[in-house]
Amino acid sequence: MNRALRAALVAGATAAVGCFVWSSWPPNSQYAPVEISFAVVGLSFMVAGIAAWQRWPASRLGLLFTIIGYLYLVPYILVNLANPAAWTIGNLSEGISGAALAHLGLAWPTGRLRSRFECGVVVANYVQNITFNTAATMAWNPAFSGCNASCPANVLLIGNGSRSAWNTLGTIQALVGLVITGIVLTLIVRHWRSARGWSRRAMIPLLWIAPAVGAENILTGNLFHFSPLVTYALLPLLLLAGPVLFVISTVRARTAGGALGTAIVDLEPGASPGRLRDALARALGDSTLQLAFRQPGGAGHLDTSGQAVDADRPDSGRVVAPIAGSGGAVLVYDVGLKLEPQLVKLTAAAASMALEHARLQAEVQAQLEQVRASRARLVEAGDAERRRLERDLHDGAQQRLVTLSLALGMARDRAAEADPELGSLIESASKEAREALTELRELARGIHPAVLTETGLSGAIQALVERSPVATTITAVPHGRYPAAIEATAYFVVSEALANVAKHARADGAQVMIRKFPGRLLVEVSDDGAGGALSEGGSGLRGLADRVASVGGVLRVDSPPGGGTRLEADIPCP
Amino acid sequence: MSVTAGPAEPKARLRVVIAEDTVLLREGLRRVLTDAGLDVAGTAADADQLLKLVQALSPDVVLTDIRMPPDQTTEGLQAALEIRRRWPGTAVIVVSQHVETEHLFELLADDPRGIGYVLKERVADIAQFTDAIRRVAAGESVIDPQVVSRLVTRPRRDSPLETLTERELAVLALMAEGRSNQAIAGQLYMSPKTVETHVGNLFAKLGLLPGAQDHRRVLAVLTYLRR
Repeated sequence: MNRALRAALVAGATAAVGCFVWSSWPPNSQYAPVEISFAVVGLSFMVAGIAAWQRWPASRLGLLFTIIGYLYLVPYILVNLANPAAWTIGNLSEGISGAALAHLGLAWPTGRLRSRFECGVVVANYVQNITFNTAATMAWNPAFSGCNASCPANVLLIGNGSRSAWNTLGTIQALVGLVITGIVLTLIVRHWRSARGWSRRAMIPLLWIAPAVGAENILTGNLFHFSPLVTYALLPLLLLAGPVLFVISTVRARTAGGALGTAIVDLEPGASPGRLRDALARALGDSTLQLAFRQPGGAGHLDTSGQAVDADRPDSGRVVAPIAGSGGAVLVYDVGLKLEPQLVKLTAAAASMALEHARLQAEVQAQLEQVRASRARLVEAGDAERRRLERDLHDGAQQRLVTLSLALGMARDRAAEADPELGSLIESASKEAREALTELRELARGIHPAVLTETGLSGAIQALVERSPVATTITAVPHGRYPAAIEATAYFVVSEALANVAKHARADGAQVMIRKFPGRLLVEVSDDGAGGALSEGGSGLRGLADRVASVGGVLRVDSPPGGGTRLEADIPCP
Repeated sequence: MSVTAGPAEPKARLRVVIAEDTVLLREGLRRVLTDAGLDVAGTAADADQLLKLVQALSPDVVLTDIRMPPDQTTEGLQAALEIRRRWPGTAVIVVSQHVETEHLFELLADDPRGIGYVLKERVADIAQFTDAIRRVAAGESVIDPQVVSRLVTRPRRDSPLETLTERELAVLALMAEGRSNQAIAGQLYMSPKTVETHVGNLFAKLGLLPGAQDHRRVLAVLTYLRR
């Protein structure tokens, strides 16, 4: 439906309403309520037509609504024009609006009929209307209504007409109409029952349109006789309900795009695909929406509830739309949503963004995990290297120095008797060798404490405490063995902390406490010194914090000026 | 595995087995000890050999390095403990590169008699080293003076050790080295009676149970110093 045609229809509708008012002016007191109510009904269908075009440009609903609007107005205009030809045509077209209304109900919401059978029903409905109207008009003498000269002449009148024939025709028409209306209503109920998700929601206005179809047939037909009040007050109200509801639902649907934004914003970071699907389904108004992901290895797609989805051949009534940049994820939705391409596009874009966000987040998480692992590996490699160095020193240089000392000792003992001067020379060399040995031992111990590998934390911490230049006591230390990286970390925490106590704290005493809790090792070193370690112990503490973090632990330092320093490492430990 | 049996010697000489994985040092030790008049009955390069030699030769004294193949951790120490368990009469000297006391206490825990713990550099002072071997063989305990002096000079707070006189501290250190009252008297140029007085006084000050002649005295003193 292009813009020009739409504009023409809108303009025509305005003109038609104008004509309607003009032709029925001044209002005939007896028929005034009828005329006004039909004007309002016709107008409401035209407004609904405009709304339908706005909402679902791809649907023919807009056209149908507008035509129905015309069909309510035009016969009245023509009949009131006081022109024989116009009066005749007006009579012929009277009541076709009911057939069009049935057409609208059957074609809802795409404006297209679903099958040949339904096409046949709609055509038959139009044909019976026009046929019976024609036949009845041939039998109707305007004089029957009591106006002789004032009424326009009936162009199609055969002879003087026959009131009884007219009545009989009306009854048959009502019967035929009843049968067809029954078929139409049955079909509409079936449409309603088979619709799911978005389509079911889109059919809500039908709940009012379908009764109107039935009511119009019964109220205006010849079979039953109701008081004019019922016919001309109840019917317009019923007829009005459909267009009004549709316009209201259209206005509400306009906010769906905004709902989509809200749905995505409300989605917490790292929400599961299931939550994403629910948010999108709410925004889209399609409870049947599926979010399906391609399975690795060409195993097809699985939706968020684990159901297999054939993305190439979707089930009937379903449409598949790929989500850009998602690595093969698709949205599967109700076919009715073809009427809302913009909303679907927005939804797919939102899904794409959310999935991309999740993917990036997972990527960052994975990278972080990699960095953590590589940091742990670096530290472990460093530890291994230190162990190797210490062993090399022990097996190599230290042993050689011991052997050298031994040889020097022997040489000195032999020389001492023969040449005391040489003896004392060798003695001083021997002393040098011993000094070197002591220094080397300290160096090796600093590189890696062999006692840690050999006896675990308790022995190594005892060794640290024994050599601490500040009076240090051990309040608690576990005797179990833990992974090497964890033991080494705990050891270096205590070692560095005690070194800091000696260097900066001006403390009289320090305490070491290591406790094992389920899943963690808590290392605490506290002193009664000057505090303020954060500003003084700078890089050492930072290095220590890095070291603790390398095994996934946390280092906390509490060091108020003048209040001593308490260092606590909380290390995950099996 | 090369098990080297020493030449047959008169019974009076102390029979020693040496376990040390460095060939040069092992042979150097054999020579030094032989020169000093000891009978080196055999040498071993690892803990397994050592145990076999001890079983085969029943030496008076075993001299072993702590770190030995295959793992280079505490094989020598474990062998020493096993020897003490299986042949309680055998004296053992462990040669260590650790000034730290963890291994020492493992070694002394059961019965400190006939146990020695000396630092490796001590081998350079041959007289002192052979003296240590003889003392251990005689059932004394020998703790390296450097290990003891580190323990004695450790900084302490509110410790009764601060109330000891210099003389008492010297007596305490020598007790910790495993010296008998007799030996302490000789080393500090006092009469044994004076030493006994000092020992009684310092035990009272430290709150240790009097038991001057008890062989576990060295352990009690070391434990006190260590805490």
